[in-house]
Amino acid sequence: MNDFSHLKRLSAVKTNAGVKLLTPAAGPGSHCPMHTALALSKQTAGLSTLVVGTPECATYGRMAVPQSRGKRGELHWLYVLDANEAVFGCREGLMKALEKMENAGAKAILLIVTCVPELIGEDMEGILHEIQPKLRAKLAFVLLAHFKCNSYPSGFWKTLLAFGELMEGQPKESRTVNVLANVKKEEDSDSDLPGLLRKEGFQLRFLTSGASLDDFLNASDAALNLVLSPYGQPLADRMERLFNIPYVSLHSLYQVEEIDGAFEKAEDVLRISIQENFQEERQKALCLQETSRDWLCGKRYILADIGQTLPIPLAVYLARFGMEPLLLHAEEFYPDDKGFAKALLEKGYDPPVCHMANPEADSQLISHLSANFCLGFLPYCPIPCLPELSGLLSGSGYRRTAGLLSTIRNIMAKEEEHHGTVPV
Amino acid sequence: MGLYQFKPPASGRMGTLWTLAPVRGASLLEYGCMGHMLYARTFLERAGIPINCRLHSTHLDETDIALGGADRLHAAVSEIILQDAPQVLFLLPSSVPEIIGTDLSALCSELQPKYPNTLLLPFGKGGFKSLSHQGVQDALMRLVKFLPRKTEKTSLPTFNIIGSCADLFRFQADAQEITRVMQGTFDMQPLCVLTSDTSVEKIREMGGAHINLVLRREGAPAAKQLQKQFGTPYLPGRPYGIRGTLQWIQSIAELLHILPDRRFLDSQKAESDRILGSALPMLRYRVRQSAEKMLLSVGGHADVVRGVLDYGCSELSLPRGTCWCDCPDMADGEISYLTEEQWTGAIQKQKGGLLMASGEALTFAGHGDTLQISNPDSRWRLNPYEPPFVGFRGALHLLDLWVNKSFQDQE
Repeated sequence: MNDFSHLKRLSAVKTNAGVKLLTPAAGPGSHCPMHTALALSKQTAGLSTLVVGTPECATYGRMAVPQSRGKRGELHWLYVLDANEAVFGCREGLMKALEKMENAGAKAILLIVTCVPELIGEDMEGILHEIQPKLRAKLAFVLLAHFKCNSYPSGFWKTLLAFGELMEGQPKESRTVNVLANVKKEEDSDSDLPGLLRKEGFQLRFLTSGASLDDFLNASDAALNLVLSPYGQPLADRMERLFNIPYVSLHSLYQVEEIDGAFEKAEDVLRISIQENFQEERQKALCLQETSRDWLCGKRYILADIGQTLPIPLAVYLARFGMEPLLLHAEEFYPDDKGFAKALLEKGYDPPVCHMANPEADSQLISHLSANFCLGFLPYCPIPCLPELSGLLSGSGYRRTAGLLSTIRNIMAKEEEHHGTVPV
Repeated sequence: MGLYQFKPPASGRMGTLWTLAPVRGASLLEYGCMGHMLYARTFLERAGIPINCRLHSTHLDETDIALGGADRLHAAVSEIILQDAPQVLFLLPSSVPEIIGTDLSALCSELQPKYPNTLLLPFGKGGFKSLSHQGVQDALMRLVKFLPRKTEKTSLPTFNIIGSCADLFRFQADAQEITRVMQGTFDMQPLCVLTSDTSVEKIREMGGAHINLVLRREGAPAAKQLQKQFGTPYLPGRPYGIRGTLQWIQSIAELLHILPDRRFLDSQKAESDRILGSALPMLRYRVRQSAEKMLLSVGGHADVVRGVLDYGCSELSLPRGTCWCDCPDMADGEISYLTEEQWTGAIQKQKGGLLMASGEALTFAGHGDTLQISNPDSRWRLNPYEPPFVGFRGALHLLDLWVNKSFQDQE
């Protein structure tokens, strides 16, 4: 097989279902969202979990959360459907299980619902609605069937959204900022926005892995949500809708002028100066941005695994330099991606979108594309590749933009050195 | 099933996959969501299982479920055969296609004529009622039913081991000790170690062996099949303890009408006598001092539990504590099946003693994992050369564990 006709082009992709595997036999494949939901939940002090699914989900879920009791008394238990429940549902059994968990000390329980209960249409909302008045423990659920997506990101963003379900309105604290990042940073460098905010005396509350349940419950008091990870974007949208908390998103911004705009919005909300603290980084990014078109115009690339970073906004930015995306790997197609896709289409690019889940076969297929290089991680990649890009892209702001452009230019310079010219 | 704090009983699907993963020269395709296969691969790597079989999954999306089409399966089979060129492609069911009623056998029959150089072998036990032991049994049975070719007995004597599978704790070390004893006692070489050290080609040659050694009850139907097909005699059982190992050797000698190598056996016996001679008085002293602290409690696979008990209680006269097996179908009057609630209760009730069970159970009991004899595990097992539990060396290993535990408890 050396054609890409089974893939949909970006203009035709509306949901995850439109993103097809690049090659048909996944190996080893991608993690299911239960994995990331558990990885996030086990770090949340005060939160107990109940995985609802098959023996596979329960057994392998123990690899993500090896202990059934957390350090602070959280319970991480498992509910396995039997043959009868796989047909008729598990309502009764689940309600008894939740009562048992409360009696064993659970203060808040997140039900992590996997493929089979979702397939049989178990009404989790109804079950929780019925049992909640009988329990003191707060209950929430998250539907994470793997057949509704290709990979793990929804395990993060849907779980964060489920935490949002537990929030209640709080009086505003004008000096508190929620940071929706990928990781919790105890110490920030002065060169990033959280570091600056801390220096300016703001209380930062990281709503991410490592935050406590109380952090989430109290989060509606913040003056601003600073969104540094796409996983946090749906929660920020929800908090703006329900609690009127404005947000500033940096995770999908590369263009210097767009970053300027985001910083201006944060300055308005927080009433501090931001941009002037990053002049050096800004100048460097601006300079690279203004001089890169000659280097980048006409180059064709494949966008492989770039971690949590959204591929389509990155492609939109690179399109401004005349770079042509030949193939985009999407870990997840987010609701907001439709807007970014429109922007890329307007720039004249409509690449096929795929999910790469078999590096060996995928690499062979990719060799049939006449790409100059591959951005992101792809083992066995037959063309020049930038596997370290996901680390760089997990940052934000001017520094990330400068890093991105200089890294791409470096790989092209190396190619030129090797072959005398960069293939176009 | 229901509510669990620890790992629940594994499904038939998992038992099948764990059994097939080490087979070299084969590829495996699971018709289901890919997250399961990714986890299974990691699980196998942690268990120290060489993943020789190329593992794949089709993944599924809502359209596949709603329309019930098998296009994904067809495309994946075609891709795997092109890329891996396997001699055999194992096809496994998963939970979602089981619910929507996918007939994997029918799909294989439909596809087989397109791929004359690769055997498409579908596996069952995908339903929600099947447990791991049924998957293991079914996988062993199908391998020996469909793969071995007609062959003469090997000119030099050989044996097969049936049932050395990844779900049993320390399975590789036990198979290595069985092989060492067979080589030393009968000068017999292993033909096929099903499945921890084998290939499609070796399974095809299985009919050439002179005897099949069946290390677990799930292997019995496969051994019967090979007896029917090739007239190969088989011996069920796991040799535990010195006496138990000698009896096991005697049974092989009688079955094959051959004589064991006396020099080898005498050397093994002399070594065991020397070590037992120094340790047994101490062990018996400990029992007299406090029988309660020397209660031997064992939980795990029924055949393992029975073997360890025979050695510890019958041969070495340790007092018997709480014993249980991890599969309801294997329970009998002597060894009961205990649910999670029951075994956790039993462990809590019996504070001291020699508890030999799964990594999870030992962690729960606060004992450390030195006396682990069964799965679920809680550690990575990267070293396949750890000491065995069966055979002469297994007997010395168990003795060493018990003596040292009794000393630790005294301290």
